[in-house]
Amino acid sequence: MIAISDKSIHEPMLDIFIFETLKQIEQLEQLVICNEKSSCYTQNSINEIFRIMHTIKGSAAMMLFDNISALSHTIEDLFFFLREEKPKDIDCSGLSDLVLEGIDFIKIEIDKIKNGHESDGNSEDLSKKIRNFLSVLKNCENPLAISESEKQKQDMRTQYYISQDKNAAVSGKNVYKAILHFDEGCEMENIRAYSVIHNLRGIVKELQYIPENIMANDECVEVIRRDGFVIFMKTDLSYEEIEELLQQTVFLKELLLTRLDNAEAQEKFLIDKRIVLEKQETLTPKLQKEEAVVSSGQQQSLISVNVNKLDKLMDLVGEMVIAEAMVVQNPDLGGLELHNFQKAARQLEKITSELQDMVMSIRMLPISATFHKMHRIVRDMCKKLNKEVQLELIGEETEVDKNIIEHISDPLMHLIRNSIDHGIEASEERLEKGKPQSGTITLTAQNAGSDVLITIKDDGKGLNRERILGRANEHGLLSKPESEMHDKEVYSMIFLPGFSTKDNISEFSGRGVGMDVVVKNIEMVGGSVSVESTPGSSTTVTLKIPLTLAIIDGMNIKVGKSMYTIPTISIKESFRANERELIKDPNGNEMIMVRGQCYPILRLHERFKVETDIVNIHEGIIVMVENEEDSICIFADELVGEQQVVVKTLPAYIRNIRKIKGLAGCTLLGDGSISLILDIAGLADQQ
Amino acid sequence: MAENEMQELWEEEDTQKDKYLTFSLGTEFYGIEIKYVTEIVGMQPITEVPELPEYIRGIINLRGKIIPVMDVRLRFKKPAREYNDRTCIIVVDIRDISIGLIIDSVSEVLSIPEGDIVSPPEINKGHNNKYIKNIGKVGNDVKLILDCDKLLSDDVIDDLSNV
Amino acid sequence: MKRVLIVDDAAFMRASIKLMLERNGFEVVGEAENGLKGIECYKELKPDVVTMDITMPELGGIEALKTIREYDPEAKIIMVSAMGQEPMVMDAVVSGAKSFIVKPFKEKLVVQTLNKVLGL
Repeated sequence: MIAISDKSIHEPMLDIFIFETLKQIEQLEQLVICNEKSSCYTQNSINEIFRIMHTIKGSAAMMLFDNISALSHTIEDLFFFLREEKPKDIDCSGLSDLVLEGIDFIKIEIDKIKNGHESDGNSEDLSKKIRNFLSVLKNCENPLAISESEKQKQDMRTQYYISQDKNAAVSGKNVYKAILHFDEGCEMENIRAYSVIHNLRGIVKELQYIPENIMANDECVEVIRRDGFVIFMKTDLSYEEIEELLQQTVFLKELLLTRLDNAEAQEKFLIDKRIVLEKQETLTPKLQKEEAVVSSGQQQSLISVNVNKLDKLMDLVGEMVIAEAMVVQNPDLGGLELHNFQKAARQLEKITSELQDMVMSIRMLPISATFHKMHRIVRDMCKKLNKEVQLELIGEETEVDKNIIEHISDPLMHLIRNSIDHGIEASEERLEKGKPQSGTITLTAQNAGSDVLITIKDDGKGLNRERILGRANEHGLLSKPESEMHDKEVYSMIFLPGFSTKDNISEFSGRGVGMDVVVKNIEMVGGSVSVESTPGSSTTVTLKIPLTLAIIDGMNIKVGKSMYTIPTISIKESFRANERELIKDPNGNEMIMVRGQCYPILRLHERFKVETDIVNIHEGIIVMVENEEDSICIFADELVGEQQVVVKTLPAYIRNIRKIKGLAGCTLLGDGSISLILDIAGLADQQ
Repeated sequence: MAENEMQELWEEEDTQKDKYLTFSLGTEFYGIEIKYVTEIVGMQPITEVPELPEYIRGIINLRGKIIPVMDVRLRFKKPAREYNDRTCIIVVDIRDISIGLIIDSVSEVLSIPEGDIVSPPEINKGHNNKYIKNIGKVGNDVKLILDCDKLLSDDVIDDLSNV
Repeated sequence: MKRVLIVDDAAFMRASIKLMLERNGFEVVGEAENGLKGIECYKELKPDVVTMDITMPELGGIEALKTIREYDPEAKIIMVSAMGQEPMVMDAVVSGAKSFIVKPFKEKLVVQTLNKVLGL
């Protein structure tokens, strides 16, 4: 039978399929890891795993992903056996490994599908392994256990039927022979045939049919497909009545109904044939009892929303903010006393602000899902490297913009792999050092102003300054004499591209491909990475990520013909200075004293090579901005004004060329011109 | 040719195959496959972006969408020319990346059947030839058909080291 | 337009069936994700026909079928099964299911079944 791909259902259903299947896979993974930890599989878990695999099998088959469907089927069978037979002494670890392998296969295939590629993975080997596992279980189990099909055979009775009507003497004056052919592809023709019989019962006096063993599944189905389902019946009903009855059969392709004459009829219903009443109950399934599987997971009032709609909503709100500014700050209104207008404008601003907050919060998701994924990574690494590591999660309810979450997952995975591979020592070594046998990795997420801080801390052996410096030297990466470098500077060298000390190269962390890719990923969402370490006891990597890329309060400044926007939250103060207040440091860098503190001056026109007439300090304005610990003073032509801006990323083409340090993105001002948004951390960094 | 006329021309034709938008840079005529072109706009105020190769002049605001613009003259290492009211920006979309190409003036949309397309000559291996995919013959003239892919991707790394 | 209630624990399946039916002139008046909710919805919405998955949490399709048939002996319920569930489908047929479709199914078959069962 050739399956013709029903393309028209494929496309619209693909997103739902991917979404739901991924959700279920994650659920499944957590179940497996939990059960493995407690070293046994609870009945509930077995039920749930069975159900999940059954569902995935079905949906994957509908979407024509047979590799996924077939694999799910074998796992379903395995868990069906576990559910029904409840064998003792299962090799839990082996079982978990198998299921996790299955999960990985499906994840990879779904990824291919998500990216528009073909799902061409072959699950046959894995399915074979699973089937072997199952047959080992079956052999160990009660060898007297009767297999399914045997049970069915036992319950089979013959296929003759006599109505309960005690008037057996009146044996129906008409005898008909019906041959039914079912439509191609309707499946389970034997059951459909049974269905016809079931409907005839109570209406006709006697019945015989071929093939006789309805429940013999495959062979019987083949016979019906090939030769049709043959029924002989004895009844008082007329030809037309029987025909009408049979025509109601669903998926009936063809019906051949003939009335038999007396001679043939006699032959068919000879009384000396042994007739046994069919017991209906035998066909009630004892095998696949439906259990009320308790659904796990809290039922909250949730709906799933297409992400595109959310993005569109965000864009609209952004445009509304701009439009609102254009109304409220309209040049036409300049100088007018508009008391009522101002009141109404303030109300509008208030509502717009609330709407903004609400829309942004819709896109915020707790980072817990991403954090929980790490359990699997820890488990796999520990198993492979024979180390013991506990994963602690703190602050998983912290919320981050949906777009950003997608960019955090890979870096986190890499950092954790790194920690376990290079940071955490083997158990014996730890004990020798007086550390607890099991290492601990602590993942924390917390809000810090307009950013989210995510830290990955391990209590391993920390970073080795000498080794890092040595390696940096080898690669010619040192720009300063070693003695002048603070520990923090040395440690952050591990983020340079191509950097990796020899023992860093392993199957998991990769050949120096790792850390700089982590940094790139984080910088792509406008964040930054830093690392601290206490040699011998710990290493902490901190990811600082903006809460949302969306809308910020900004101060617009002008340099020549260019406009820039500084996030208001970074501004400490602004003032006019004059040349007398300037100091030059030994390297010739300009500095200024403010209330006893010294701050470096950053001339934007020099940094960004912009033409401007304002080059003398007293002609322009200084804006003091802070970035974590440091503060710098930005020199610009003038302050233009404060407003809310919608952050837009620089076009992909430009981002692909390079990450321009000091620019976080751009925005459209009320008059349609573009302002570049400054990234204070990036500007301060090159000091 | 005015923008509107250009749009109408596109809408008239059913298929975009074998159609090229031609434009001029100095004395040479170039062509771009129509399928890459999303629109043509007149010169707009450009916001400069630092630390980029010289031929990337900056970004413009196209009805709310921010698009980078490349001066094709500079890309082809020709002498720069001041922009006037004939200067146009051709907005192209390749593999989901949008970019505006600043050119001297737009010519017309031409149909150049496959038979009239030939490979570029190997002889003048000038710097620009790597951006030319092939040559289209139109009557007695030739139009240099651009390889948009290369235009967008090639050489950027090298150029960056000169920044 | 004939009114349909879809009962299945997989959102994907519910969406697939809904898409197929709505494209063929049926009105999907309700969806339920398990047998219990399916029974509630049936009582509330009184659809013309129900598509009922067999394997569901809380309460399975066979049980729900039986309960609905008790409540309304005229109820037209079509079971949605997977291969290998023959005994359960038998049970369903015996308990009054009008017909059944087997996953994975094509749109044509679903529509055909509903039409036949509804006498269209």
